[in-house]
Formats: sequence, C-alpha cells, structure tokens
Amino acid sequence: MSSPTRQQVLRHIELVGQLQPALHQPQHAPFPEAIDHALFRAYMRTSHDVGGEPDVPIQYEEKEEEQWELNTYVTCECLAWRGLWNAEERRRRQNVDLGQTQYLGLPYYGRWLLSAARILVDKQAITLTELITKIDEVKKRYE
Amino acid sequence: MAKRDQGEHKAAPMVEEVSDFEILELAVRELAIEKGLFTADDHRHFTEFAHSIGPLPAARLVAKAWLDPQFKKLALEDGVAASKEVGIDWLNPTGFGTPSDYTDLRVLEDTPTVKHVVVCTLCSCYPRPILGHSPEWYRTPNYRRRIVRWPRQVLSEFGLQLPENVEIRVEDSNQKCRFMVMPMRPEGTEGWSEEELAAIVTRDCLIGVAVPHPERKQNAARPVHKAVHPVQHDH
Repeated sequence: MSSPTRQQVLRHIELVGQLQPALHQPQHAPFPEAIDHALFRAYMRTSHDVGGEPDVPIQYEEKEEEQWELNTYVTCECLAWRGLWNAEERRRRQNVDLGQTQYLGLPYYGRWLLSAARILVDKQAITLTELITKIDEVKKRYE
Repeated sequence: MAKRDQGEHKAAPMVEEVSDFEILELAVRELAIEKGLFTADDHRHFTEFAHSIGPLPAARLVAKAWLDPQFKKLALEDGVAASKEVGIDWLNPTGFGTPSDYTDLRVLEDTPTVKHVVVCTLCSCYPRPILGHSPEWYRTPNYRRRIVRWPRQVLSEFGLQLPENVEIRVEDSNQKCRFMVMPMRPEGTEGWSEEELAAIVTRDCLIGVAVPHPERKQNAARPVHKAVHPVQHDH
C-alpha cells in the first residue's frame, strides 16, 4: 500500500475526531477510585443494548438489498455452517466487540462483514497480510 | 466483474466506483473459499435458500388458524409443530444441515384488548425461515430503542392507531426464541378461502405494526432506499 501524504493523514485524524461519540465530561483514563458503582455499571453497558433509549421519530424506510449485503449474509452463514463460529460468538463480534462508534456508524451488513473478516484473522484461518494483499488485489481489478 | 457474482447470479453492470464494502466482501469470500473454509458451492446453495424465504408461510399459518380452531390451538401451543404444517421445518430450516438459531417459535395471539408487536432490542433477531428477511426499519436502532418504551406512539407512526383500552405487548426476540403475531381476522372476510385470507396477512401484520384489512394486500407504502448495486434475482 502506498503511504498517505501528510494532508491525507490530517484529514483522516479530523474525520475520526468527528465520528467519535461526544464526551460530556473530560475523560483521560482516570484513577481507579474515580469509578464508583454507577459509573462502572454505565461503562459496562454494551453498545447494542439500545432498548428504551430516547430517540426522536424518523421516517421508517424499506431498503433494496445490495448484492454485497446478500453475499455477506450468506458468507456469515456459511462460516457458521462449516463451524468457524457459533451464534453467540457472531453476536458478540457483530454487536459488542466493534464498539459504539462502529456499531452506530456502519451499515447493518457492514458490521457483519467486518466481523467476518476479523474472525478469519483471529482464528488464524488467514494472516492479516493475506487479507491486505487480497484487498489490494481486488481493488486493482476495478482500476 | 464476472467473478463478482458466481454461478447463476447475473453479474452487476460494470462500474467505475466500487465501495470498500464490496471490495472487502469479495476479499473475505474469496479467501474463505481458497482456504477451504467453505466452498463456492456452499455459498451458492445457501444463496438459493436466502432467495427462497418470505412471509407467505407465516401468512398461511395465520389464515389456517383463523379457519381451523384445532390448528389454532396447535399454533398457540407449539409454533414449531404448526410451522411444519405450512412447510417450514423450524429446527432445520435450510434442509441441508446448517446450525440453527431457530429453537423456538411462539405465535402471539391478538385479541380485542391485546395487541402484540415484535422487536429485537439487542440486534435484529427475526423469524427468517417463516417470515423471510427482516425489513430495514426493523433493524434500525431507532425502532429498537423506541418500540419498547413508546409502543403506542411508534405504532401510530406506522399508521396503527389503537384505542386506549387496547393493551400493547412488545415481545423482545432473542437468538433462540422468535415470535410472529397472529392478528385478529378482520370483518368483511366471511366465507373467504385460506388463500384469500393469507393474501391480506402482510409482513407488517406478522411483525405487529399493522392489522389485516380485507382490501389491503400490501404493506403500507413507505420510502424505498434504492441499492447502488441491487441483488440480481427475480423473486
């Protein structure tokens, strides 16, 4: 992969800053005694546990499915069928492990796809280098 | 581009812009196949299953129950057994030995004073084998956040205004237990056949955000977000 220019790096950092959830108070890895029971419990909330959270009405929409979305669904199911992960593991990876920013920021099947890529690496079915090489190779097909 | 959609699926038209998701999807699928984690044939096979499911079996289950008190009793007592009667093997929905999340199916009966509606607050659990793929709005954090706390308001946004004396019960699905709603049979359908009745039990009725009407065979019209490269398949 080619190295990004300084300008690209700055743009990236700026965008990441905008995407991160707003902090209502400064947080810089506090001393342990700063975390009382209520705070501890609040920090232990997982990002997918949204039931009951306040939100405003939106226009509910139907959606046409992208080909990659269907393929992603099927890939995830095939990985389960052939024993690479089970239902509990998938859910943890797709719903919890991503963290709040990616959980709310990515499309539904985008989360599925990311978790599928990660399980292949985490379970050592492929190396990270193989994944990056493959991504580069696929990109080149469209150039 | 030919490799993008393997097998019978028609290839999407050649485009210049391809998203990072499309690239990652291809990369992951090809690597998984190259490493022998599953085969291209597995992928095709499961894709066929994915194309084969829809809300019709659940609609038939409801219509059948409206017509046959014995079957209705079975549906309410044992959703898994009842689904078999409409052609869905709940415990082995694909028929080719995939591991199943689907261990329990409960049919929720609406009455004049109780209206049921289904959600999955933690993710998007849905009775796919008998109802097909979940709609986009069902998966949104917005629906999941609000339906459990302000169900009456949310239902009214779907066009369903319920009188105050109707209690709303929201069922929260989970990995092992899925729900479908059995709405009340509407007036004006006396003498209808099972097929005619099934036609008015829409997907939205089965989730619980709508109720059947003798003149409505479609979900309420709402905006459709178009895909950039939509699934190529004739349903």
